[in-house]
Amino acid sequence: MRLFKTILAIAVLGVLFNLLNNNQGSIPPLGKFLNPFAGFWQNGERQDQLEEVLDVKGLRAAVKVVWDERQVPHIFAENTYDVYFAQGFLTARHRLWQMEFQTHVAAGRVSEIIGSKAVEFDKLQRRRGLLMAAEQTINYMGGFPETQLILQAYANGVNTWIETLTPATLPLEYKLLNYEPEVWSTLKTALLLKYMAWDLTGRNSEMDLSVIRSALGEDFVNKFYPKDTPRTEPVIPSGKPWRFEPMLAEENPPAFEPQFIRDLRKAEPERDNGSNNWAVSGKKTASGFPILANDPHLGLKLPSIWYEIQLHTPDMNVYGVSLPGAPAVIIGFNENIAWGLTNAGSDVMDWFEIEFKDESYAEYLYLNEWVKSDLRKEEIVVKGGKTVQDTFAVTRFGPLVYFGDHRLDNGHPTGLAMRWSAHDPSNEMGAIRGINLAADQKTFFTALEAFAAPGQNFAFAAKDGDIAIRHNGKYPLRGQDQGKFVRAGRDTTGEWRAFIPPDQLPSISNPWSGFVSSANQNPTGKNYPYYLGWDYEDYERGSRINERLEAMNNIKMSDMQVLHMDNFNKQAQLMLPFLMSQLNQQNLSEVEVEILGDLKKWNYLSDPHEKAAWVYSQWWLHLEQAIWSDELTLFGELRELPARSVTAELLLKSKNLVYYDNINTAEKEDRRSIINIAFQNTIEVLSEELGAYGETWELGRARGTNINHLLSVKGLGRPGLPTGGGVGIVNASKKDHGPSWRMVVELGDRPTARGIYPGGQSGNPGSAYYDNAVNKWVAGQYYDIHFLSSPDVTDQPKLSMTQLRNYQ
Amino acid sequence: MISILVSLVLVFSLQLLFYSWWWIIVIPLALGFIEKDSVAKAAGGNGLGIFLLWFGMSVYQWLNGGEIIVTRVSEVMGIGSGFVLALATGIIGFLVAALAGYAGFSLRKVVIKEYQIS
Repeated sequence: MRLFKTILAIAVLGVLFNLLNNNQGSIPPLGKFLNPFAGFWQNGERQDQLEEVLDVKGLRAAVKVVWDERQVPHIFAENTYDVYFAQGFLTARHRLWQMEFQTHVAAGRVSEIIGSKAVEFDKLQRRRGLLMAAEQTINYMGGFPETQLILQAYANGVNTWIETLTPATLPLEYKLLNYEPEVWSTLKTALLLKYMAWDLTGRNSEMDLSVIRSALGEDFVNKFYPKDTPRTEPVIPSGKPWRFEPMLAEENPPAFEPQFIRDLRKAEPERDNGSNNWAVSGKKTASGFPILANDPHLGLKLPSIWYEIQLHTPDMNVYGVSLPGAPAVIIGFNENIAWGLTNAGSDVMDWFEIEFKDESYAEYLYLNEWVKSDLRKEEIVVKGGKTVQDTFAVTRFGPLVYFGDHRLDNGHPTGLAMRWSAHDPSNEMGAIRGINLAADQKTFFTALEAFAAPGQNFAFAAKDGDIAIRHNGKYPLRGQDQGKFVRAGRDTTGEWRAFIPPDQLPSISNPWSGFVSSANQNPTGKNYPYYLGWDYEDYERGSRINERLEAMNNIKMSDMQVLHMDNFNKQAQLMLPFLMSQLNQQNLSEVEVEILGDLKKWNYLSDPHEKAAWVYSQWWLHLEQAIWSDELTLFGELRELPARSVTAELLLKSKNLVYYDNINTAEKEDRRSIINIAFQNTIEVLSEELGAYGETWELGRARGTNINHLLSVKGLGRPGLPTGGGVGIVNASKKDHGPSWRMVVELGDRPTARGIYPGGQSGNPGSAYYDNAVNKWVAGQYYDIHFLSSPDVTDQPKLSMTQLRNYQ
Repeated sequence: MISILVSLVLVFSLQLLFYSWWWIIVIPLALGFIEKDSVAKAAGGNGLGIFLLWFGMSVYQWLNGGEIIVTRVSEVMGIGSGFVLALATGIIGFLVAALAGYAGFSLRKVVIKEYQIS
């Protein structure tokens, strides 16, 4: 009996140990996690720790770091190596887990952390070739010693921080998921940059457009999916003459109908990734110096995607936001210039259907011969499971991303290869370093030439008075509509053979209007000689920004802040009066009459308290669905809808159109009836979702914004923020997307700047600086930026200092 | 009382130096094994010692800059307050250490008895 009891006790103890030492599903290993000596209890943060002297191994000289009241580090170093070493060291101190997790996502290594549920994601991620591209980038860097030095200094800084960690000081998320950080490398930085490139250029409607063309014809596509959408004011004003002899692209090959049909969009980045930027010249400002503003719209998460920083060496003084995981400043300003980015939206990713000889995918048909593909073997390590082997083919048309369970009519296996500009070697890090050092327009534009992917509209303003914008990137030379549809990867048609030379890219300096701007719309008018793509943002944000900037004079920084927060809904202004005129008033219920009354009173400002703003935006979505969902549900999926402005134009101009009729009902719907049906459906759906018409229907409550933790862990995010704005609105706040960094810079003898991002400098959920800026961001407020010229902080009580001493 | 203190002080010192949570198994197991007479001392003494240590240390961390992290983790785990979370931490410590103490005590009885027979 005694023996039995003893064995039982030891067995139970063993089971308990196992339970408490390992993750149980999404539950952290409770023994480790609750351990008050090393578990989460140790992740609290006292606020008085920053006045300190640290001995740091690997620095070349002493570095002074001034912390401001928001914990922005202002790094003063004596040489280039040390400044990026310190950036790596301090960024890791605040954001290590996020940095590493993002690179695991980029590399397709999530299964290592969360187990088998991420295997399919990892496979797809590897087949996209981000790791391949990052490896090439690092090889290519060999030719650029300064870039290599910067990346290595940053990596050394990160690793020096990692070495200081103990089980107690590990960031919270490592404890939640029960793993440890690994050594940082330059490859990880390259992976992060490739991931950003994918996030900004990876969305593609080629498959959908091919399917739509097959089903509904060439005319349908040409009419409803045009490059030049109604009302668009291009980034570079249409009147600009182009004074160069353009290269000639090949004629468009005959149409090709793919047989390998997939819905690619589910795994692609959000359409909502966009941005605004503009610069106004001194002749329109109160100070006489240019002002630049930027707000990149990205997925909003905690920890935030940006990390604010100032980097100072004898030859550089730059301030702005950096990406945790990459050195230098991505968006910001220095003593002479300021710059901001918006996504270019031009087409840098093409899909090719490839014909393979057999299931080994080792040979594919090209110019009537079987050509060997490069087979890439991948090992996916799975936490708590067996390592998964995966092999995919790399062809001259890029890696084979989608394949399996489909054969061509002739019995050969097939799949889709992805040709992407970010797969080619390029030196964006060198470009960013050049931008950080740039002193005027000439040096700025020269630096941009190395920035291949992702394509961006770079807005620029300088102390010497210049303003400019350039649609920058590495863009293939294309025939008209080349890249709009999936092509056969069987011959040279559709292959990329040349790229548009940097000096022929769309750009403009010091236009007579006194300002430049971009909001992801079509970059050029019809007279630009090259075809760059077709799938750009609609006109609304760009045209609103332009009309406001045109009307303004004597501009101050605060005017730019107001424009960032501009909630005017141009699309509603265009459509709502017409839609209301089509409603059959006599059929409306009591609540519908009340709602219509509010819509009539609405001033088109999508402010957080506006019920009408939410009702209108939903009505419009229902209407789009009513028109298109019957025709465009093809192969079981609803395909890409025409642009808002195209649908709007149809509704305004065409009373009768075959597409108004829902082909799935016996009745014959016309324009008036679908507008009425959509209105009633909207009210019905919203009533069900939000209850009786009242406060819950307000935009800020019905939609608002949720800023979730990167792992979507409940309790670590900031859900339910009452934001206004929305799609097609300058303040592009959405459900989980929005202005990820609002910055306004006025150049001058010394630049003055304000900025804010929805989060905080610390990635530690136990820090007061984790989400301290969120409420101010919601309210449209800004922080005054301290652009310091020396580390001497004795007269500024809000500042404190860390000294990093070189320790051998 | 002594057994409570011994286990508390020993585990405290080891956890300060080596962090690992499983000291609350190893030490009570050993202390249980060298406890000759009382199963109450072996199980209860270790259990209470570790309860006091883990609960006390949790509360100390909570009050020393841990307010924010404790509030957030309470929400993550769906637990009402930091106090409950500290209590839960203490109770887990108690259960593990008491069981380990009991197992150690029990093991001694088996091993010593068998030794005597042979």
